[in-house]
Amino acid sequence: MAEIVLDKVSKRFADGTLALQETSLTIDDGEFFVLVGPSGCGKSTLLNLIVGLEEISAGQIRVDGQVIDHIDPKDRNMAMVFQSYAIYPHMTVRDNLAFPLKMAKLPKQEIAQRVHRAAQMLGLVEYLARKPASLSGGQRQRVAMGRAIVRDPKAFLMDEPLSNLDAKLRGQMRSEIARLQKRLGTTTVYVTHDQTEAMTLGDRVAVLRDGKIHQIGTPRELYSEPRNLFVAGFIGSPSMNFLPARYVGGRIILPIAEIRCQAEAHARLTANGIRQLIAGIRPEHIQDPGNTATDLNAGVSFHAAVDAVEWIGSDLYAYFTVRSDSEVWQAMPYDMGSVAMEGGTMRCVARLDPASDVAEGSLYTLWLNIRNIHLFDARTGENLIAPRMLAPQ
Amino acid sequence: MVSGARTLTGSLLQRSFWGFGSVVAVAYALLPMIWILSLSFKDKRSLTDNRFIPSSISLENYRAIADDPQFSAAIINSLGIGLISTLLAVVLAMFAAYAIVRLDFPGKRLVLLGALSIAMFPPIAIIGPLFNLWRISGLFDTWLGLIIPYMTFTLPLAIWTLSAFFRELPWELDKAARVDGATPFQTFRYVIAPLAIPGVFTSAILVFIFSWNDFLFATALTSTDDARTVPAALAFFTGSSRFEQPTGSIAAASVVVSLPIALMVLLFQRRIIAGLTSGAVKG
Repeated sequence: MAEIVLDKVSKRFADGTLALQETSLTIDDGEFFVLVGPSGCGKSTLLNLIVGLEEISAGQIRVDGQVIDHIDPKDRNMAMVFQSYAIYPHMTVRDNLAFPLKMAKLPKQEIAQRVHRAAQMLGLVEYLARKPASLSGGQRQRVAMGRAIVRDPKAFLMDEPLSNLDAKLRGQMRSEIARLQKRLGTTTVYVTHDQTEAMTLGDRVAVLRDGKIHQIGTPRELYSEPRNLFVAGFIGSPSMNFLPARYVGGRIILPIAEIRCQAEAHARLTANGIRQLIAGIRPEHIQDPGNTATDLNAGVSFHAAVDAVEWIGSDLYAYFTVRSDSEVWQAMPYDMGSVAMEGGTMRCVARLDPASDVAEGSLYTLWLNIRNIHLFDARTGENLIAPRMLAPQ
Repeated sequence: MVSGARTLTGSLLQRSFWGFGSVVAVAYALLPMIWILSLSFKDKRSLTDNRFIPSSISLENYRAIADDPQFSAAIINSLGIGLISTLLAVVLAMFAAYAIVRLDFPGKRLVLLGALSIAMFPPIAIIGPLFNLWRISGLFDTWLGLIIPYMTFTLPLAIWTLSAFFRELPWELDKAARVDGATPFQTFRYVIAPLAIPGVFTSAILVFIFSWNDFLFATALTSTDDARTVPAALAFFTGSSRFEQPTGSIAAASVVVSLPIALMVLLFQRRIIAGLTSGAVKG
């Protein structure tokens, strides 16, 4: 149990690359804190700094008020679960679980007791005498978890622990980890590149890119109030649609519709003198007007040539292309991540009701819920207008 | 590979070609050994009878070398010097290889290249200076006097073999052990070293074979039974009278000293090959 405080921590590698920009954050006692971001964003580095496998270049890390910068990793009493599990292949499951306790020089009897308790908690009792080579991926993952919980550490640090499992097992272990963490109440820092894992597991999530934390918040906050284009595009699956927009005379002009600004939004946009915008629309905010329960007055209709449809049972994804000759696109392609755009066209996706009769290759009228449009500054990527500041034409 | 195997076993012509080739190669390699084996079982009179298969099996020569104090002293020297050199070389090489693989220090490449160049250095070139140096320092004709050059000349090979092994161990194991509360040495002792045992074994066998077989240092740096190893002792064998060639005894002794090595290689050939080629391809 511990509160972990990072105070202006940064990390620069010996070769000069800045792996982590100055970061300050507090991970509360008992919290499940997730670090998420694309590969190479510095999330694993941050974890290694906390556990002491890497030395911080500047700043301070405190655990329960105590500065731990110069404490050897073995004395930090934190447990780590690695992506490769890193269970010792030459030891039996029992010896693997007992290893941290042996290093801590606990009496034999207590070691046996604790190993047994952890094995019971994870359903490993019948495998205690086996070597890791004869275990399945899921069981190895459990052994790695067991080695972490057996010593009752101050914090769990998990580095992509599920990414080597197949999809079904991953979902299963995900809920198991969540349950275990709630039960033990141990502060947990969890690194992943998978936004679904981040959203489902985290009490709070920090989104990183290029060694910088872009936003910290609860999954709901990140989803409904992303601070910038990157967070907006990274969180959510399928990811947010982006369209170029212009602000002219109190109106937002999108390639597919025109929207009137409310007073508050108007004030903000004029105060900044911003004309070029990027509009962000979540797929679920584009719907089939013939098949939605939402009040149609809260949005505008537009025509879309649907060119691909994916029906997955609970939802129907309709893909269409929006044409625009706006030069805005040259500005922030990096931030928008996976959004594809070629020759002035943008791919968009709508999450429709599965009962909708939208099919490939025809022109449909779709409906855009403008209450939920995000508007980003095209130059900085910053989110200017939270949803609900816009009104239909 | 499948098609290759098919062509190999394919036509009768091909099969007989490969079969004949193998027999020639094996015979070429083994005939001298078999000849020595045959000689060792002959008695004094039939020694020069030019027969490949001895007319009668006699253990006379083996009895002779067993009674010879020179030979038993040489065996003890060989074993002792070989084992100590092996132990020292392997332990030192383990630490060196682990450091080379896991640590980032200036001159890392230099150490590896240095080791390689020592391995390529012709031993004969240093025999002269070493002889003088050993006489002055009192190392001449002692176990230590042989252990030092053996260890030095085998260290490079051991370092290279072991670093190939260590390189294959995932780094996360070290990290996991450190986080689990182990000191760097405990990490090495409980996690890394046990996992490198196949590699340690391979290098140990190779180092032992080197020192067991060495003739150059053994003849140049020893003079009495105090430290003379078997290959050197063989050269100094005398017959029962000064006019007699000790051919039979030499043959018997050759068989005795070749046996442990042949057995070791046969038993551990898989390990030796695995150790030499590990790191060549990703497993």
